[in-house]
Amino acid sequence: MSEYLLEMKNITKIFPGVKALDNVQLNVRKGTVHALMGENGAGKSTLMKCLFGIYEPNGGEIYLEGQKAEIHSARQAMDKGIAMVHQELHPIRFRSVMENVYLGRFPGHMGIVDHKAMYDKTKALFEDLELDVDPLALAGDQSAAILQMMEIARAVDMKAKIIILDEPTSSLSDREVAHLFKIINRLKAQGVAFIYISHKMKEILEISDEVTIMRDGTYVGTWPVVNKETGEKLTNDFIIRQMVGREMTNQFPPREGRPLDEVVLKVEHVSSPLKKSFQDVSFELHKQEILGIGGLVGAQRTEFVEALFGLRGIASGEIYLNGAKYSSKSPGFAKSRGLALLTEERRATGIFGILPILENTVIANQKNYASMGILNEHKRRVEADRECKKLNVKTPSLETLIQNLSGGNQQKVLIARWLLTNSDILILDEPTRGIDVGAKYEIYNIMLEQISQGKSIIMISSEMPELMGMSDRIMVMCEGRVTGFLNKGEYTQEKIMALATQFAGRNTAA
Amino acid sequence: MRKIFMLAFILILALVSCSYSQENITIGACIYRFNDAFMLRFRNAMQAESEKSGAKISITDGQDDQNTQDAQIDEFIANGVNVLIINPVDRMTSQGIIDKAKSANIPVVFINREPTPEMLNSYERAYYVGAKAEESGTQAGQLIADYFKAHPEADKNHDGKIQFVMLKGQNGHQDMILRSKYSVEAIKAAGFEPVEIASAIANWDKLQAMNIMNAFIMSIGPENIEAVIANNDEMALGAVEALKNNDYNKGDPALYIPVVGVDANASALDAMDKGEMLGTVLNDADNQGASAVKLAAALASGKDINSIGYTITDNKYIWIPYQKVTRGDK
Amino acid sequence: MAEITTSKSKRLFTTAGIIFLVLGIALYFLKAPMGLNRKIYDLPIFLIIIGVCFALKGFMSANKPNNELERVSFGEFLTNNAILLAMLVLVVVICILQPRFMQIRVALDILTQSSTKLIMALGICFTLLIAGTDLSAGRMVGLAAVVSASMLQTATYANRFFPDLPQVQLWMPIVIAIIACMVFGALNGFLVAKYDMHPFIATLAVQVIIYGACSLYFDMPPNNSQPIGGIRPDFAQLGQMRLFSMGRDFPGISILIPIAAVICVIIWFILNKTVFGKNVYAIGGNREAAVVAGISVFKNIMAIFILASCLYGIAGVLEAARTAGATNNYGNGYELDAIAACVVGGVSLNGGIGKVSGIIMGVLIFTIIQYGLQFINVSPMWQQVIKGVIIAVAVAIDLTKYRRK
Repeated sequence: MSEYLLEMKNITKIFPGVKALDNVQLNVRKGTVHALMGENGAGKSTLMKCLFGIYEPNGGEIYLEGQKAEIHSARQAMDKGIAMVHQELHPIRFRSVMENVYLGRFPGHMGIVDHKAMYDKTKALFEDLELDVDPLALAGDQSAAILQMMEIARAVDMKAKIIILDEPTSSLSDREVAHLFKIINRLKAQGVAFIYISHKMKEILEISDEVTIMRDGTYVGTWPVVNKETGEKLTNDFIIRQMVGREMTNQFPPREGRPLDEVVLKVEHVSSPLKKSFQDVSFELHKQEILGIGGLVGAQRTEFVEALFGLRGIASGEIYLNGAKYSSKSPGFAKSRGLALLTEERRATGIFGILPILENTVIANQKNYASMGILNEHKRRVEADRECKKLNVKTPSLETLIQNLSGGNQQKVLIARWLLTNSDILILDEPTRGIDVGAKYEIYNIMLEQISQGKSIIMISSEMPELMGMSDRIMVMCEGRVTGFLNKGEYTQEKIMALATQFAGRNTAA
Repeated sequence: MRKIFMLAFILILALVSCSYSQENITIGACIYRFNDAFMLRFRNAMQAESEKSGAKISITDGQDDQNTQDAQIDEFIANGVNVLIINPVDRMTSQGIIDKAKSANIPVVFINREPTPEMLNSYERAYYVGAKAEESGTQAGQLIADYFKAHPEADKNHDGKIQFVMLKGQNGHQDMILRSKYSVEAIKAAGFEPVEIASAIANWDKLQAMNIMNAFIMSIGPENIEAVIANNDEMALGAVEALKNNDYNKGDPALYIPVVGVDANASALDAMDKGEMLGTVLNDADNQGASAVKLAAALASGKDINSIGYTITDNKYIWIPYQKVTRGDK
Repeated sequence: MAEITTSKSKRLFTTAGIIFLVLGIALYFLKAPMGLNRKIYDLPIFLIIIGVCFALKGFMSANKPNNELERVSFGEFLTNNAILLAMLVLVVVICILQPRFMQIRVALDILTQSSTKLIMALGICFTLLIAGTDLSAGRMVGLAAVVSASMLQTATYANRFFPDLPQVQLWMPIVIAIIACMVFGALNGFLVAKYDMHPFIATLAVQVIIYGACSLYFDMPPNNSQPIGGIRPDFAQLGQMRLFSMGRDFPGISILIPIAAVICVIIWFILNKTVFGKNVYAIGGNREAAVVAGISVFKNIMAIFILASCLYGIAGVLEAARTAGATNNYGNGYELDAIAACVVGGVSLNGGIGKVSGIIMGVLIFTIIQYGLQFINVSPMWQQVIKGVIIAVAVAIDLTKYRRK
């Protein structure tokens, strides 16, 4: 019997033109949480897809409990006790929670589904996971956290020995994260091993036992989080250094200058037509200011900025842009008035996956390259090339399909898109979500550079350090309302959390 | 809107009732749909015949709906017409109409759409006037045979056989099956040996027929095609267009292939006038309309139905033959 | 493993081209003395044309930089071009069974028949590019055919649609017919863009409306649903005229071919060189992202359906002119053929992917197969089976191509 539950040895995977994995190894012990870290594009997802049977590695072996395992499909992986909870969950929205849990393996005989058994089993599973959800509720109505628990429940029910969690906390509130960790710890005690992929340093150090770090498709090393002999804990800086391969002295670039007094955007008592969405939002945005918007999931921050950009309706309230009255009719109109929106869901509402980088870069700015509707190909190419080079987009050519880039590079292309429109106000919704440390730093630099050129930025962020590190001022929202403003120097994590949870429990009590 | 309907209703009632006030025979006729080119001709022929004979005829539009037509028949019976002429919307539901007529003891003449023999035999005063579909095929074949008799040089390879191309209607359609079969039979009956060198389904469609004919001209060679038989005029005209594109049927007697169709529609007559098409077969609406009215009048007045000038087959049917139409007798 | 590197394939193309060229020229001069005139027809000329094309392709790719990663295994080469190769095999079989197939006039006939289909397919590809579809296309062809033909009959024709209509300018009825189609195209676009209706349903509804409206028009007295004939010769010329005709030697090129070619160029230009074209690809690629990028989806979808219907209108007018007639049944079911041709030509039903060159290929493949099967007199039932198999196989191959990535 091997000391490891899972051993992946010398895994190599070659895509046309790229060596995505080069002799990578990963060894996971029974009953531990094993963090897998690395910048985006380091090959974490590829490695997991090799384990889960989605990709066939070009070389290397996989051992499960000391036995050599052949995994050619997700089905085989599941049969061997490997389960995967994906970062983006795709439940069957119009079916019940229990049907989603038992999808593909409904209890019953001869093709007739035993709904009673399914209900009872789901109920028992959920109780075990301290989840208060009716198994008959529609999956589409559940929050991301519950859907994730649903996936974990599925894995538990399948007696999974290894559960892969891919960025499990990216859309969870702190309370939900705590719940998740509690469950992880309990399952761990039962002997289940977790492979935990995340960029969030704090969580990694809190939950995991061991850390494997990858860089550019290669294996860097594996370290225990707490050194048994010395009792020393791994540090942030150490991990970042290993991931980036260089010293990272500062997480945030230095901010120079101060916002001007000039008000570029004034929002007064703006409310959504939907009762549950944002209500009575008022604030001022100054020239060369980074206004951070903090809050928990469900604070309606995204909904608010989308309304500002003309993607959603506004029922009442007034907006002034550079002193003139502004009504948000449509994104096209907002664009023409100098607004830009980088959306939260990069894949769903940002990139055109099947189109080349060139098209993705210039799409919002086509009119400037056209006379009478006919495009100037040369100008498009020159400007896209310039902008992508400026933002350090790593790509073989402008013809590469954007879906083949890593998340960070995709995000840079999207920022390049909006920089080309030369907008005065950039609205960035979670600009660094799911992006590696190196790319994050680059994006912060871009933001500061834009500020120094006289632009203003509204940034929504759920990551406290980022919010505090980058904002000149923070506006905190809770359940659709603005609960307070904090100026630079006076904000602490506790103050922000207090404002963000101001109404907490109000709805549940009612 | 409702007012207009009311007004129209009263007007129809007034018209119907005043025509019934006459001592004469009144005929109630139901057409399945007025907007049908063939039934329009049929209707005009019935109108003309009843004017000539002095019978009163009232014709209703079934709007292609059997329920509407049933209501119209009930109204005719209630108003005491002497005889019914029915062009059923759905020929398979004719039993209901026959039963109605039988209980009112009114004779009924079906036209154009034939009830089954069982239905007709269930009432001694039920009759049918129409044409035999296979005759359209027979006569199209005869047109070709007649042409070859008059023009021996049309047998281009002098083998005594007729090498023809057949353009067929929609697959499985009754007319397509009968016309294809009987046109060949007629050529045989006239003493020629027909050889089908190619055939294709062109779905009654001019465009498809044209494309297919083009392919045939290329693959077989126009010099090897001696005749074109089409199940209807539209396809015949499509063939004509294809031939014209290849410089055939444009006036040069050396470059001519006889083309026949069925229907005698205006475009076909036009093409025949120009000498582009040999002939077509006409479904004789005039004679069918006239005979239907004559039969109805005789039935209503109790006259001998064998004296009206049309042959009654099996004491149930009047078969009006199709008519050949060729150049000059438009 | 048999791998064809680009440099190898260059040489392959160039050598094959030269072989074909030499063979063609040799046969051209030898066929008369060898008594092959009635056996191989215009084969030498075809060989010369193919040879020149191959040689050009080899020569052109020789100038491109050599990318070592661009290796294609022999198997991949086969699947990438499976439909094309199947078609070539079929053509060879037909040529053997019926040597008359090797005539220049047959090739020209195929191109002529492809022309109107191609114009339709180019229209429908816009709706496919936004992950939609257009089921009303065929009926629009019928509408345009009936409307244009009804106003362009000779004065002496017995059964005129409008007995008292004077002899109007040729372009007027054509423009009216195309505008009639564009009105319905706008209705399509409005339903899809405004109510976010699935194009399948919206265009199905409009298809039925168009057929009804067209039938009502067609049924107006005095026409009463009679096929429209007696077409004015100047209108018929628009579909039947032949350019460069030299009597018996050369049948001439149908005017439809240059018309379709011009439209191809225009559509290629629109798709690749205009803001509108880029917006079409963007909306097809990711509609939500397009909205966020400030593209007016409403305006673009309206434009897409109106432009598409304009092309159907043109196709309908040309069909009426070519056949010198029209009925309300013209174009029935054409949309499915056009969609199939697009799909065979590599247009993705999921939207965002598709090129004009592919569509030309798809339409040609379809027409050649259909024409070829007709040519050797294959039963229409078998033709249907073969057509269906081609669609299924083409799409299956296409999808595996994408999956490999």
